[in-house]
Amino acid sequence: MKAPTTPLRTLLRKPIPHPYQFLPAVTIATSISHSHNATFSVLNRPPPNYPGHVPLTRLERAALALGSGILSLRDPHRGDLIAALGEATATPYFIHRLHRAMLSSLTGRRILRDRPRITSQSLNLPYLRSLPTNTVGGTYVAWLDREGVSPDTRADVRYIDDEECAYVMQRYRESHDFYHALTGLPIVREGEVALKAFEFANTLLPMTGLSLLAVGTMKPVERARFWYVYGPWAVKNGLKSQEVINIYWEEEMETDVQELRDRLGIEQPPDLRDIRKREREEKRRAKERANGNPAAPAVA
Amino acid sequence: MELLLLPGRQVRRPALKLCRTGSLRVSARIRRAYSSKPQPDIYDVVCVGGGPAGLSLLTALRANSATAGLRVALVEAQDLNKTRSWTLPPDRFSNRCSSLTPSSARFLDKIGAWSHVKQERVQPYQEMQVWDGVTDARIEFDWAQGATGSTIAYMTENLNLTSGLLSRLDELGGTTIFNAAKVENITLGEDTEDLDLSQWPIVHLSGGKQLAARLLVGADGANSPVRTFAEIKSRGWDYNRHGVVATLQLEDHGWGGDAMKIAYQRFLPTGPIAMLPMPGKFSTLVWSTTPSNAVLLKSLPAKDFIALVNAAFRLRTVDLDFMHTMTSGQDDELAWRLQHTSFVAEAIPQTVVGVQEGTIASFPLKMRHADTYIGERVALIGDAAHTTHPLAGQGLNLGQADVESLAKTIEYSVLHGQDLGTRMSLEGYNSERYTKNHVFLGVVDKLHKLYSFENGPLVPLRSLGLNAVNAMRPLKNFLMDQAAGKGVKLF
Ligand SMILES: Cc1cc2nc3c(=O)[nH]c(=O)nc-3n(C[C@H](O)[C@H](O)[C@H](O)COP(=O)(O)OP(=O)(O)OC[C@H]3O[C@@H](n4cnc5c(N)ncnc54)[C@H](O)[C@@H]3O)c2cc1C
Repeated sequence: MKAPTTPLRTLLRKPIPHPYQFLPAVTIATSISHSHNATFSVLNRPPPNYPGHVPLTRLERAALALGSGILSLRDPHRGDLIAALGEATATPYFIHRLHRAMLSSLTGRRILRDRPRITSQSLNLPYLRSLPTNTVGGTYVAWLDREGVSPDTRADVRYIDDEECAYVMQRYRESHDFYHALTGLPIVREGEVALKAFEFANTLLPMTGLSLLAVGTMKPVERARFWYVYGPWAVKNGLKSQEVINIYWEEEMETDVQELRDRLGIEQPPDLRDIRKREREEKRRAKERANGNPAAPAVA
Repeated sequence: MELLLLPGRQVRRPALKLCRTGSLRVSARIRRAYSSKPQPDIYDVVCVGGGPAGLSLLTALRANSATAGLRVALVEAQDLNKTRSWTLPPDRFSNRCSSLTPSSARFLDKIGAWSHVKQERVQPYQEMQVWDGVTDARIEFDWAQGATGSTIAYMTENLNLTSGLLSRLDELGGTTIFNAAKVENITLGEDTEDLDLSQWPIVHLSGGKQLAARLLVGADGANSPVRTFAEIKSRGWDYNRHGVVATLQLEDHGWGGDAMKIAYQRFLPTGPIAMLPMPGKFSTLVWSTTPSNAVLLKSLPAKDFIALVNAAFRLRTVDLDFMHTMTSGQDDELAWRLQHTSFVAEAIPQTVVGVQEGTIASFPLKMRHADTYIGERVALIGDAAHTTHPLAGQGLNLGQADVESLAKTIEYSVLHGQDLGTRMSLEGYNSERYTKNHVFLGVVDKLHKLYSFENGPLVPLRSLGLNAVNAMRPLKNFLMDQAAGKGVKLF
């Protein structure tokens, strides 16, 4: 493979362009059969199954996974790359697991029927701000405001062929911020990694597992905390709690966060922000002590 | 002449002669002359059970000139007059149907019964589509292009078959029928001065009548009282599954029209669901499923029952599992899921649009095999000897093969002047049928187990198996020859 294939090339640019702009007249012709759909080559790409869908050949899909994987490790802030990596590795197997999980649940099936989208338009943000802070909605907006993000920062699904599975991926992606609210894990890298580990145990999506490679990029003390505290918590809770993909968030805004956790069987992990704050304090005091201020106590 | 009646001493005399003596009269005389106790009527063959197996056996014996002289009796607990007068309008079908293989049909023809079966209600089929509900691996059975007209099997209502057999048996005459008579007890006879019946089974009927049998045939179904009398153990297990049956109406006459009928079977983790063609727009359903699912299916209103049947041939197993937790609304759920499920319409049965009233029923499925089919003066045939999972649709055909074999064995004894009831005379029947049935029951049992896995290492392997068989025309032809009874006889 000399030149990167089309989807990879589109990924190298930053804001995501319209997919068809980049469909080439001629590129490498591949005709490897593609999941259970009919075989096609890049020369006769089938029409999209839903608006924004880009049907890929198997080779292109592999290239997309490889390319987005490498690039996103180099630049972890590229949400679009992580999204593409998620889609490329979720098919053809793992997305079906998540799909099945939704189809096995009454609420999951309702979500699939209604297909709610989580955007700043679909959510009534002013109303959520008026909710008490212990509610799901209150916690969620507080989190959005603190992190300075909006519900609209999630990329659209493009590389998953089955139209319903594409929605499942979209829903999973859009629910991510609620998982923060539910677990209370902060958006800092350490919290994000713990949350990914939880999601991996809960959804088995390979991309969530791959993002655990980021453990290697953490500070030694954080890494130790991951192995001894958050990792074990994530695996235990991710496996034993109900599938978080089946939460109809739109209907749970007024619910008490703790009540929802109890219903799903999720224990709240130790407060990471707290721990980190204490740690910083301790460091500061140690520094002060070193600078000749023996009055400062040794422990926080 | 009376000597002939002494069973212990007439081994070398042809049974034929015995029967021509009119033993009923003779035995009556003996009773009057020598005994105050009620004496049993003596028969060469007493067959308990007037189902497909029992009726076929008696018809076979009566239709063959070599055995037509035997004194034979039939005992049946149900009222056979109901079977005799059985009739249904052309657009209604009984829910108990069986697929008769061409070899069963040939045998029925040989004994003159096939023409008594209402042919307009029999539906031959030429193609079979079998697939895996989890992986979608598929195997198609049809004859090579150009060989059209080759029949895989004939779908026949059990009642059409039994009423046809009964009509043929009535036509042949000479069978003493104890109708609506239940077997209450079976004992061994007594050794009196003139008659040593101590090795002979005596069948006691509900009215007090007693029948002594040179050969007692158990064609009395899965709970065979004859088998119990003979102390033959029957081993096996319950599948913890029920077979749900129903008569269905489809949107049309099938994808191949009336000339090319297709049988369909999809293996679901709970068990296979089969739809077998009947004449016109009708089909019969055999759905093996869990007892609780069977209860649900029987409780649903018609439109939701129909929706679940259509779903079972089309949707993913996760959808099906969920729809079995609903107590209503399957109809609406199916309409939604069909929009998100892809399948090739022509590869599955046409849409079911109706179910005939009162035809939804269910039967527990068991696998049982008697340790042997014979004892001294006892032989077992049909379900009395073996019951199998209906996934291969062969239960009744195995019984027909038993009948053919036992009739041949009896004929041999008669022609060679042997006592037809001794274990030695019956040995040929047992050795011809036992191993074949045993292999068959084993294969069916393993198939059932193999397909009840939803995931695990066997799932990809089994689809590999199905796909590979599908790709191999010679192997497929061999299997089809087996089904049609054309090839080297294995089962
Ligand atoms: C759901 C289902 C689907 C099936 N599908 C097929 C198929 O597609 N193809 C196929 O080949 N087979 C099929 N079978 C099997 C088939 O129906 C049986 O194998 C067949 O009916 C057995 O015939 P039989 O004569 O041995 O026994 P039975 O039909 O059971 O007859 C036994 C008879 O003995 C009588 N009897 C019992 N006890 C007494 C007594 N004490 N006194 C007097 N009479 C007595 C009964 O009244 C009955 O008439 C299916 C079975 C089930 C349950």
